[in-house]
Amino acid sequence: MPAVLEFKDVSVSVRVAGTDVALLRNVSFDVGKGRILGLVGESGAGKSMVGRVVSGLLPENLRFSGGHVYFQGSELTGRKARSWLGRRIAFIPQEPLSALNPVLTVRQQMAEHMKHIGLPRRQWEAYCIERLAEVGLPDPEDILGRYAHQLSGGQCQRVLIAMAFSGDPELIVADEPTTALDVVIQAQIVRLLRQVQRKHGTAVILITHDLSMAAHVCDEVAVLYAGDVVERGPARKVLEAPWHPYSWSLKMATPSLSGPQYVLPALADLMPGLNQIAELPGCRFARRCPTRNAECENRVPVLERVGDAHFVACGGQCRADSASRKTELHVLPSIGNPHGRPLLELRDVGMTYRGQGRRKGQHFHALKPLSLSVGQGELLGVVGESGSGKSTLARLMVGLMAPTAGTVHVDGVARSGASSREAAKMRETVQMVFQDPDSALNPRRTVERLVAQALELRPDLGASERGRIAERLIDQVGMAADALQRFPSQLSGGQKQRVNIARALCVAPRLLVADEIVSGLDVSVQALIMNLLLQLNRELGIAVVLISHDLSVVRYLCQRVLVMRHGEVVEQGPTDEVFGSPKHPYTRLLLDSVPSDDAGAVWPPPERSEGGVAAVGRTVLEFQS
Amino acid sequence: MTVLTMNQQARRLSGAARIFSHPKVAIGGAMVLLFVLVAVFAPWLAPNDPNAQDLLATLLPPAWADGGMVQYPLGTDSLGRCVLSRLIYGSRIALIVAVVAATGTMLLGTTLAILAGYLRGGFDRATSFVVVLWMAFPPVVFSMMLMVGLGTGVRNVILAVVLVDWTRFYRVVRAEVIVARQREYVQAARLLGFSHLRIMLREVLPGVAPLIITLFSLQMGVAIIVEAILSFVGLSVPSNVVAWGVMLADGRDQIYQAGWNLLAPVCGIVFAVLAFNLLSDGLRVVLDPRLRRKGGE
Repeated sequence: MPAVLEFKDVSVSVRVAGTDVALLRNVSFDVGKGRILGLVGESGAGKSMVGRVVSGLLPENLRFSGGHVYFQGSELTGRKARSWLGRRIAFIPQEPLSALNPVLTVRQQMAEHMKHIGLPRRQWEAYCIERLAEVGLPDPEDILGRYAHQLSGGQCQRVLIAMAFSGDPELIVADEPTTALDVVIQAQIVRLLRQVQRKHGTAVILITHDLSMAAHVCDEVAVLYAGDVVERGPARKVLEAPWHPYSWSLKMATPSLSGPQYVLPALADLMPGLNQIAELPGCRFARRCPTRNAECENRVPVLERVGDAHFVACGGQCRADSASRKTELHVLPSIGNPHGRPLLELRDVGMTYRGQGRRKGQHFHALKPLSLSVGQGELLGVVGESGSGKSTLARLMVGLMAPTAGTVHVDGVARSGASSREAAKMRETVQMVFQDPDSALNPRRTVERLVAQALELRPDLGASERGRIAERLIDQVGMAADALQRFPSQLSGGQKQRVNIARALCVAPRLLVADEIVSGLDVSVQALIMNLLLQLNRELGIAVVLISHDLSVVRYLCQRVLVMRHGEVVEQGPTDEVFGSPKHPYTRLLLDSVPSDDAGAVWPPPERSEGGVAAVGRTVLEFQS
Repeated sequence: MTVLTMNQQARRLSGAARIFSHPKVAIGGAMVLLFVLVAVFAPWLAPNDPNAQDLLATLLPPAWADGGMVQYPLGTDSLGRCVLSRLIYGSRIALIVAVVAATGTMLLGTTLAILAGYLRGGFDRATSFVVVLWMAFPPVVFSMMLMVGLGTGVRNVILAVVLVDWTRFYRVVRAEVIVARQREYVQAARLLGFSHLRIMLREVLPGVAPLIITLFSLQMGVAIIVEAILSFVGLSVPSNVVAWGVMLADGRDQIYQAGWNLLAPVCGIVFAVLAFNLLSDGLRVVLDPRLRRKGGE
């Protein structure tokens, strides 16, 4: 029986400055009926390009430059692909909230789709309800009448999954379907996707950056790097014992939720961009590869069989098994204990919003009163899902908001009622690193003017002095001085986040409040930023409050952790204790929802009652909108 | 250090080159430049005194038509005044009104918009209410009322334009300021201890500057039209000053005998307004970072 979809030496290229650059280079894989193939890689690896080829919607400047795509045994042309979209080939998009039209109800959007499928009009309603019920949406009639903003992210994604499956397609391409969702919802959506996929026997291509998740969900995975398939094989095998140095570093750069901790080995440099790819005739990973040899840079590696259905494209010494590489890892040194009086103290601090207009009289507790202290040089983690009050807590800590109850003390002095000199000192003590570097860096300032921004309030410092300080700061966050004259738009995501940190360091703070600072980054960049935070803590003794939805990040960095839910701390204590033997069922649920990096573990976990979690998350969203 | 400043200069130059490489900016900019040059050098360019009457040669056709005189290239009006000279001198009033009125409108509208958008609260509600009320008046009637109240003269024309049109700046800029103040870099500046005034000037204003430049350019075109309307109804400049609107009013009576009398100021107005609109539209595209290609510097 032929595969549902087969890529045979597919190349896609773009013309840059007169030469053809291959964005996909001789990519081969196949997906059989009822199988799930995972395409794994970081941004820029060419994962989404595969989806573009399958849908026949290549951007205009790209060219299909070689190879064949077979769909159910016959060659798939762009025209055929486009005419089959929605019927034989369906897509599940990345951003569920923006994929639904905000001005149409779910019913209207599904009706459009029913028409496209060619279902008789009188069956539409019943069919939609049936399909929505299948994806686990309670009360489908009610959902049909709603608009996208009246649904939570998870519900939107369920609607989109229902739509994708409603045409009974033979192939579904899911492009990062859970990236925008909370970890608990992610586990639910993945579980659902697999259930429905099994029931209909659909072939699925799952595009993701998360190797652990792919390993648990998929039958087979292919790891992509800069347009090359570097490794392909049975999913669990690839996670358990990755052969290619890139797959290995992808796995190792993700901190683990169990077992001993190692200093995350971070690859030097970045995934090559369009312009650099042209200068890499051989193995595109060679320059960053720890095991390269002289030939690597000039020889194009081909996929070779290394085990049962397991292929690796490497001309170097990747055959050295991963066990021997593990010895290169350094055990994470334990962090010193915080000492002295607390640097930041929250006493019964709470935040309540009063409803206005229609909601007059209703109160919304963004943060229920809590007490908490952060010691000198302490690394404190705060975890929770969206709407748990994490960001409110961060804003209260740095003083961007004043609490409606309780007091915040910095270095023993209450913030409310502090004199302007004391307030200035507090600002220098506690600084914040913002979540989204695109929004946090003024696009019209150069890096130099960004990091030395605080010095503009010191007229006694001359321009050359400022320049020197900027240079030192940028060096402190591990960037070269030639970046100083660039604008944020000329930097990569990781570099922007470093500049973001450098700016906060300018006033020599003793506490950094970092709100989700690694959430938008690729794992290898995330590893670099986390190691940087660790280094700042060791060398300068800066305390860090790390706010994250990612439990493994918190486990890697923090000694103490707070688990938050609905504006309330449900559990707190030393990280090892809380993660090792969680007392609160919510902590356990969070821990179980993270895809394990142990290939033998069962994930997603069997269904449990989580309705409450989703429901309260929704009321929060509704209130904010 | 010298290398550094040279680099910066090079970047600035290439930035200007990029802006003027856009066809609308290039054409609009060239037209505006021509307009400005004509206005500035009017005494040297005009063949005759714009107010000198040659009662022996009234309503002459253009020089190339039958009965035209080389001395009056575009003919004369009913009082025997040179149409070309009046057209050239008329551009001076148009330019003064355009530049001064647009600047005033921009200053008033932008200042209030940044204050309201940044501070929000009561100030924002109060100014926004005033703006809504203000915009309920029909603009032409409103400016005529103002002129009747203030009296004629170029200065009052400018004042009328400013008082009528500042709301346009206010509405558009305020919306953008509200977006800009939500950005995390504004909050970061607050955490670094920047004062509100400093944040408004250093963080918010640069972000909305492209929008202001675009609106400014558009407003110059609007000011020219308003001035023409007011001088057409005789509420603008005294009779010894040449303005395009006055020429329109004068030429209206002889529209069938001497159409060129009317056509000349119309062409002047269309040329000037088109120039500013083209420039504004082009600037909107080249200065908007969202429409700019990444790393396109």
